[in-house]
Amino acid sequence: MTDEEIKKLIVEALESKSKTKSKFYLKDFYAMVPDKKPREVKNLVNKMVQEGTLEYWSSGSTTLIGLKGMGKQHQEED
Amino acid sequence: MPYDPSDPLKDRITDIGPRYYKEFVPPVIEKNYGKWLYHDILEPGVLVHVSETGDEVYTVRVGGCRLMSVEHIREICDIADKHCGGYVRFTTRNNIEFMVDGKDKLKPLVDDLKSRKFPAGSNKFPIGGTGAGVTNIVHTQGWAHCHTPAIDASGVVKAVMDGVYDDFGSMRLPAPVRISLACCLNMCGAVHCSDIAILGIHRKPPMIDSEWIDKLCELPLAIAACPTAAIKPAKTASGLKALEVNADRCMFCGNCYTMCAAMPLADDVGSGVAILVGGKLSNRMSKPKFSKVVIPFIPNEPPRWPTTVEAVKNILDVYAKDAKKYERLGDWAARIGWERFFEKTNLPFSHHLIDDYRFAYTTWRQSTQAKF
Amino acid sequence: MGKHKTPMLDELEKGPWPSFVSDIKQQAEKGKQVLKEAPDDLLGVLELSFEDRVTHWKHGGIVGVFGYGGGIIGRYCDQPQKFPGVAHFHTVRVNQPASKFYTTKFLRSMCDLWESHGSGLTNMHGSTGDLVLLGTTTDHLEPLFFDMTHEMNQDLGGSGSNLRTPACCLGRARCQFACYDTQEACYQMTMEYQDELHRPAFPYKFKFKFDGCPNGCVASIARSDMSVIGLWRDNIRIDQAAVKAYVGGELKPNAGAHASRDWGKFDINKEVINLCPTGCMAWDGSKLDINDKECVKCMHCLNTMPRALRIGVDTGAAVLFGAKAPILEGAQMSTLTVPFMKVEAPFEELKELIEKVWDWWMEEGKNRERLGELIQRKSWQEFLRVIEKDPDPRMVDEPRSNPYIFWKEEEVEGGWTRDINAYREKHPR
Repeated sequence: MTDEEIKKLIVEALESKSKTKSKFYLKDFYAMVPDKKPREVKNLVNKMVQEGTLEYWSSGSTTLIGLKGMGKQHQEED
Repeated sequence: MPYDPSDPLKDRITDIGPRYYKEFVPPVIEKNYGKWLYHDILEPGVLVHVSETGDEVYTVRVGGCRLMSVEHIREICDIADKHCGGYVRFTTRNNIEFMVDGKDKLKPLVDDLKSRKFPAGSNKFPIGGTGAGVTNIVHTQGWAHCHTPAIDASGVVKAVMDGVYDDFGSMRLPAPVRISLACCLNMCGAVHCSDIAILGIHRKPPMIDSEWIDKLCELPLAIAACPTAAIKPAKTASGLKALEVNADRCMFCGNCYTMCAAMPLADDVGSGVAILVGGKLSNRMSKPKFSKVVIPFIPNEPPRWPTTVEAVKNILDVYAKDAKKYERLGDWAARIGWERFFEKTNLPFSHHLIDDYRFAYTTWRQSTQAKF
Repeated sequence: MGKHKTPMLDELEKGPWPSFVSDIKQQAEKGKQVLKEAPDDLLGVLELSFEDRVTHWKHGGIVGVFGYGGGIIGRYCDQPQKFPGVAHFHTVRVNQPASKFYTTKFLRSMCDLWESHGSGLTNMHGSTGDLVLLGTTTDHLEPLFFDMTHEMNQDLGGSGSNLRTPACCLGRARCQFACYDTQEACYQMTMEYQDELHRPAFPYKFKFKFDGCPNGCVASIARSDMSVIGLWRDNIRIDQAAVKAYVGGELKPNAGAHASRDWGKFDINKEVINLCPTGCMAWDGSKLDINDKECVKCMHCLNTMPRALRIGVDTGAAVLFGAKAPILEGAQMSTLTVPFMKVEAPFEELKELIEKVWDWWMEEGKNRERLGELIQRKSWQEFLRVIEKDPDPRMVDEPRSNPYIFWKEEEVEGGWTRDINAYREKHPR
């Protein structure tokens, strides 16, 4: 798979779950792309944040990642 | 070019890290880097380090507040400019160190530091924190900034440091005593290896704001946040999606509240202080040790937490009288035995103090060795 | 008179220890912070917490500077109408210089920067080591970051599932015990792993700390997933004349650390020889003898007689893994993994080691599982295989007391496949 295909796959996976859950651990992304090394997936996910597709949500101690602008927290924090 | 809000990523600089430390060390440090031979504590809070080049650096250590204004930092800078060639250092334990390269420069610096007081009377720069004394308390944010604290941090620290002030400015104890404070059991300030740890704990499971929780939070995230899997989905009487907490499994960590503000945990009587003692980090004589819980709960008593202050002072005083020279608090307690510790400190021993968590068995006594 | 009445906090202006309340009040009165009301409103909300005995802060998670997953912690007040100056009050972690030396020029420009973009309040420093800027609004974050990087050549620290801002002890800058250059190691490792520090890479937080000797002033053994603690392998250097001077009372023992109390005359047998944990020292009245082969480098004799004893010259560090605070499984200290390693720039051996550990933890670690917990779950043996190190008795306090060894098939002669028919020839059914 090319990077672009993986990105598309990640977005689709996130969209399909977006009704109940908007944020995921990095580990959840590894599961979406099982044949890639965690480090490669991590780099790609971080790139998707740079590109504005995804965004981080940090509890201070842990980081979650989701589609940009999604989730109930947004209403409260904006 | 200044920041351009219409093009926030223009000329962006990232990943440059901290400034290189050698830009910030005074000339006497730069010149003698790696060449130090020995040090002496000339008086509490005042050290001299001697280099193999013959150079000396004199350090005056003063207590600082972790929560500090830029006005105060500027005053520190004024002092450092006046006496120390424009250099200053902070320690791991929120102390401030002023260094001069000659003994003649020491007295004017010390006099200057001692003369500075806040309008209401407290000292701005108390000198001490060295050797066999109490040094500054490392701590967390508390009610000044944190969302899951069980206690305040800065306020408790101020009250305790006032209480043990004489031991900050002297070296009468058998060994150094490190006091630390974490305002909840997540311990973003790791206090689990301190001679005396002041720890905030909650004792009531979170409340559920049931009518609102589904509007404010993503329920799966709150469920997943629980380290003991004590949270499960529920429905309100009116049929709204909500959550419920298995209270018996709750370990009062507040992780759910971090993810979901509709699950508040803190409580005016449920939350308070636990005291742990006997931890250490250094490998000196004995191996590093964890702190142990000796007082399971003291209520929050703002503004000055008198029961907590007295508890710390009591433990400190009994230790100071009873321990041998060089013996850390935990080594003393281990030598005399914990039954003696509770007797000498006059602290009650309750079932709360016996471990029933993951590694519990390792702390129970499998021996007939006991004192009466 | 401040904006809010703070009778309870005013009680904390009394007493000799520096009062943070007095300090915040002076910022409220004299400071030029852009969030003008912030110090006053912080006192107000804190006073309310003192009355209510609970916090009034809520957590937020989205805020940050673009492209960074760490460095900013979102914070909101639950009484924004009463305290508009701190309604949004985010924390900014700034990566401190190694061992926290500063020029006043740098500190003053940080003060000016923070007054133009925030509350004027700080933490000097946070527990992990960062210089913390306490309290600003979302719209100030990008300009603050821009000015900090452009004008001060200074970056943010870590938070979340990132590498956290590494920290080190004072080291060779002013300490005779530093067995390696803790500051250089801290700086170089921080620079090498900027990506991991700014962007989430792991199942949970990861901390490096660098202690120069087993005294452990930066507490690495208790709170860092990888603790690098200075050690030497050869002999303690002895100045016999200085030992005599301690015995004779010309030199103050323990560098004067017990000076405020009369502990009696220094007794080298009672205070040094007999307190040595391995009993590897002897004093015959004129000469100190150390059996260095048996020494475990506890530092007691060096701390007690710093002018007579010096660390050896074959210096480096031990590397330990797995420390963490009690959440979740219970507190753990780091376990001795590499008993000795040379730690010198460019620190390649250390980098190779850590990258093996990270690859394994990224692959195997559960969400929010610290390295120390993963090692416990998977076994020390598995960890050794991952980092390609041989087992060593120095890794344990004692060998296992249960015999339930999980033998591998390749360790057992002939493997596990056996011929039942051959067995039956000797043992009929």
